[in-house]
Amino acid sequence: MVKISVLQHAPSVHLPARPGDPTPTTRNLDPLMHPFARARERNRALNAAKMDKLFAKPFVGALEGHIDAVEVLCKKPGSLSAVASGSWDGGVILHNVSERKHIRRIQGAHKGKVSGLCFAQDDRLLSCGVDSKIKLWDASPQDDITEQRPLNEYPGKSAFNSIDHHRSDPLFATASNIVQIWDETKSAAISNLTFPTSTETITSVRFNLSETSVLGSIGSDRTFTLYDIRTGKAERRIVMQMSSNALAWSPTFPTNVLLASEDHNLYTFDVRQLKTPTHIYKGHVAAVMSCDWSPTGLEFVSGGWDRTVRIWKEGQGTRPEVYHTKRMQRVSSSIFTADARFVLTGSDDGNVRIWKAKASEKLGIITARERAAIEYRDTLKDKWKHDNEVGRIQRNRHLPKPVYQAAKLKRTMLDTRAVKEERRRKHTRAGESKPNAERKKVVITEQT
Amino acid sequence: MSEDLRVRLIGENEDDERMDSGDDEEIESDDAFDESDEEKYGFYFPSNDHDEEEDALSTSEDAPEALEELQDFISTLDSADDKKRKSNDVSTQSASKKRRLMQERTEAGDEGEFGVSVRGSTALKLDDLLAPLASSSALTTLKKSIKVLTSTSNKTKTLSAPLPQRAQERLDREAAYEQTKEEVDKWSATMKRIKQAEHLSFPLQAQSEGRVSNLELAAKFKPSNELESAVDNLLKSAQLRDQDIAGTEALKMAHLSVEEVAARRAELRMMRELAFRVDKKAKRIAKIKSKAYRRIRKKQRERLGGEEGDADVDVEDAEARLKAEVERARERATLRHKTTGKWAKAMQGREELDVDQRQAIGEMLERGEKLRRRIQGEMSGDESEENESDDEEQDVETIKQGAFEELAMLNASDVLSADIGSKSVFNMKFMRDAAERQIREADAAADDFLNEMGGVESESDDDACGDRTVTEGPSVQRVGGRVVYHPGTIPYTKPVDSHASETSSVTLQSADLVQDSPKSLNSISSPIISSPTQESNPWLVTSSSSGPSRKRSEVLVQKGSDALAKSTNKLKKRIAKGGEEKERIQDDAVLEIDADNVLTALEPASTPAVINTKHKLKGKGKEKPKNDSVAVQISPADADDSDEHSEVDEQERTLERKRKGGKGKGVTAFKQRELVTLAFAGDNVVQAFEDLKQSEIEADAPREVDTTLPGWGSWGGTGTKKFPPRPNLIKKIAGVEPSSRADYKKAHVIISEKRDKKAAKYLVKELPYPYTSHAQYARSMDIPVGAEWNTRVGFQRGTLPRVVKKMGTVIEPLVKAS
Repeated sequence: MVKISVLQHAPSVHLPARPGDPTPTTRNLDPLMHPFARARERNRALNAAKMDKLFAKPFVGALEGHIDAVEVLCKKPGSLSAVASGSWDGGVILHNVSERKHIRRIQGAHKGKVSGLCFAQDDRLLSCGVDSKIKLWDASPQDDITEQRPLNEYPGKSAFNSIDHHRSDPLFATASNIVQIWDETKSAAISNLTFPTSTETITSVRFNLSETSVLGSIGSDRTFTLYDIRTGKAERRIVMQMSSNALAWSPTFPTNVLLASEDHNLYTFDVRQLKTPTHIYKGHVAAVMSCDWSPTGLEFVSGGWDRTVRIWKEGQGTRPEVYHTKRMQRVSSSIFTADARFVLTGSDDGNVRIWKAKASEKLGIITARERAAIEYRDTLKDKWKHDNEVGRIQRNRHLPKPVYQAAKLKRTMLDTRAVKEERRRKHTRAGESKPNAERKKVVITEQT
Repeated sequence: MSEDLRVRLIGENEDDERMDSGDDEEIESDDAFDESDEEKYGFYFPSNDHDEEEDALSTSEDAPEALEELQDFISTLDSADDKKRKSNDVSTQSASKKRRLMQERTEAGDEGEFGVSVRGSTALKLDDLLAPLASSSALTTLKKSIKVLTSTSNKTKTLSAPLPQRAQERLDREAAYEQTKEEVDKWSATMKRIKQAEHLSFPLQAQSEGRVSNLELAAKFKPSNELESAVDNLLKSAQLRDQDIAGTEALKMAHLSVEEVAARRAELRMMRELAFRVDKKAKRIAKIKSKAYRRIRKKQRERLGGEEGDADVDVEDAEARLKAEVERARERATLRHKTTGKWAKAMQGREELDVDQRQAIGEMLERGEKLRRRIQGEMSGDESEENESDDEEQDVETIKQGAFEELAMLNASDVLSADIGSKSVFNMKFMRDAAERQIREADAAADDFLNEMGGVESESDDDACGDRTVTEGPSVQRVGGRVVYHPGTIPYTKPVDSHASETSSVTLQSADLVQDSPKSLNSISSPIISSPTQESNPWLVTSSSSGPSRKRSEVLVQKGSDALAKSTNKLKKRIAKGGEEKERIQDDAVLEIDADNVLTALEPASTPAVINTKHKLKGKGKEKPKNDSVAVQISPADADDSDEHSEVDEQERTLERKRKGGKGKGVTAFKQRELVTLAFAGDNVVQAFEDLKQSEIEADAPREVDTTLPGWGSWGGTGTKKFPPRPNLIKKIAGVEPSSRADYKKAHVIISEKRDKKAAKYLVKELPYPYTSHAQYARSMDIPVGAEWNTRVGFQRGTLPRVVKKMGTVIEPLVKAS
């Protein structure tokens, strides 16, 4: 018998055991064998940061239909696609975001603008307007999408500015010059909540999502007021330097409330400690008109008078992601979708726009390998963010010229103010005036 | 006014009632708030009530009769013992006051339903009104709250004015806020956990889909097709389904008494035990058998070893003898058995040996031992021949006897436990058969063994011999200068014919010592054994205490069958013995050995030799040199740790010692030093280093370069003045001042001041935020995360994002766990 030596081909060594498995690799894990590991990783991080910018295409699409500015947007709880929008023309449109179609179109739902929208239980929609009416609509998909008749109508005494539904009970709250709690089954408000000295308009009211009996409202008297329907009282009120335009309760941190202020900033407050905000988010160059938390509670979106949409990370007060287009006008409403992947904004140009929450995210199916590569890139970017070049690329934002100029001007003004303050302090008697922390300037008084 | 008051007072009660019934639909929102407030805040209730009382009082201050009435009312609510009397008083008083009231009453007051009741009859009292409420908790709380008022002295019946409404409301709000804060604060632990979580997978409160257990499936199971239903029916009819089995068991056990159950249990246990008994017996027999065999075999071997000395010589033919002679001659020629050879000496000096060398040493020692055995084979073998063989005979008998007895005992115990309980599984035929078969096998094994043992005397010798011939080749022994051949040697001859010669190594039996008598050998070896160095060896210490000194070392080496252990043991002994040898032999040979040793100055074996000779010359005892030698042996090991120069140092030290010891060695010492200097001749390292550093410093130093181009900007020719270079043409290069260098005043290093541009890319200006030290940050950046440098799992863990969201999954806000 002649022994023949052949080249051995053992597929188990270099091929995956099963179709889905990763390819087995053989490598030397001794760090001494890889003297250039660091250099290579840095290079990869640099490339990842560049790719991130290269593939940053956040705009997904626009939902048309309104003939005037979109004032208000709301998403249906527990649904990914159903979104309602209300406009200054008094029309309400129910969109299917994933198909980009209208489910319902209600022309002239209100006289004047639709100031508030929210979904009630059982696929119904509540809308309120400046015509002092609250209307309950059927929001289920039907053949005739333009049916006009409301299911119910709740008359009010003054123009409504905002409406919000209780998370589980058939209750909703409206904001006019007072905050009222309504029962869906009753035609009149079941209770009025108001802070005794409050005389101004309440611009917005929101139920807390987790602590469901707690409400917050903001008013044109520069206040934020906290209510509880269990105690039936307006419990506490803070007066700030500037009035707020929108508020949102955090879905994951139930004590946190986010206020979009007229002074270009956003503030988060902890309702247990209202004296100072927990964070200040600076970035907009004009009043912030709307804000909404991501369902994760770790991000939020804000739309501003400066025609930009910004996406912030919770606890990181600067350098938000900035979205803008040439045609988008002042952003009056912005919401996150329920899966935290998309952002919807309604603006003065009458469009509802869909954006990706992460600009360079790839839509569609992602294989396991690709996911691993993406995660690796993200890790690298995070690890090397302190590197000069990588950090610079990551920090870089392209802004429309007016926004850029406004930001520059604002920075100059603030710097000048700071310098002036510094000089003033320098020339007063020592210890007479101390620098005031920025967070302590926000709230003027806390009223009990 | 009083009407008002009364209405209010009674209305209060009605309010209380309403609170009980819980329908507050009709009341105004303000009232509703008050009420709800009271409901929520029990602690506020009394004070509120109090306030309202006060309110009532303040409003009716101008009406004294009303005040009186209130006082009456309060007095009615006094302590229980004098209640009756008081009630009478009240009735009379109310009766008396009725008239006066009537005068001042307006008509509107008359029409009120309460007015009627009060005025209508004297019989109706407040107590009557309160009677149906006697059991309600609201009344008791009211009473309790009023008790405070009544308990105070009669003088201060007026109550303090209530707080203004706004102040009151503020207090309420504060209380409510505290309550809400408390409620909201219950989330703080959850929020903290989310904040600190390393990885978050949304939705956070998604319930995991648990796996379906078998029990669950079985519980839900319903027969769907024909087969399943048929099986189910069968099971049902046999009552073998899960639920039935429990039932039948319960039924069976129901009529049994406790004793019966216990008996059943015992029987079961018995059965279980019997099932294992046969196995156990078989094992035991096997053990007895093998033990007996082994012991007999051992004895035989020992005996044979003794007999071998005068085994038949004539079996071997001349051819084999010739062959052996040739082999022996060859062995002699190789001289590999000697430790006095050059190679052996070199090996002795080595501290660490590689595998080949170790093998070679082992081989050498083996050879030496073989030879020595041949030389002395005769005298050790004969000593204990007779008595041992006697013992042996006797022993074999006793061993066998013991084994038989044990077997007999085993059988007897079997017989005792042979009968089993009356009715059990073991009484079934197949079980019995199986058990019998097993028992039969075990018995057969025992019988076999008995047979074997019985006839062992005739066979065992042959068997043993056969075994041996298989394992060993024909062996050669030399007895007193005569070579003896026999078919098989006993491998364990060593312990029997042993001689301390292992310690009195081959060196002693080398050419010059062979002619010494065996007695002298013994006399040499015995003092060596008791020498201090050997006692310091733990192995030897234990052995010396255990047995006769003659056998000790041999046994030792045999036990440590490892070749390495053997060889090291021998080497050690040889080293230790070196001094004595030298002491004993005062010949030129000593000088020869010393000359060798000087060349290998580091060798621990050779140094003591030198010192020993020195001491010997001085005429000192031999203990001290031993200690010295130990010290010297240790030193090189220490020196290994230090730097490379230590080798030279060590050499010089040895040389020094030698020079001190004897002038005779001076020549070689000089040689050594010269060798070293020769090796490093012209190696001016220090100077070169200093020059290099100086040039480096100069290159980096700040300097001025004159960039004037000759002939430009100045006049040429004879008679022209030489101007100093213009300052704008002098280029100043800012370098590094020598005194500001990092290696300033550090003679042994050069630290480059050049900036590494490529490395600068990886540097950060300041320490990034979460890190607290440079080392921490550097460490975090050191470890790459890529798949090329990590295991697959490590890579996956390292790149796992903090927040994971599933595509198309609705993330609901947190829900309070109810």
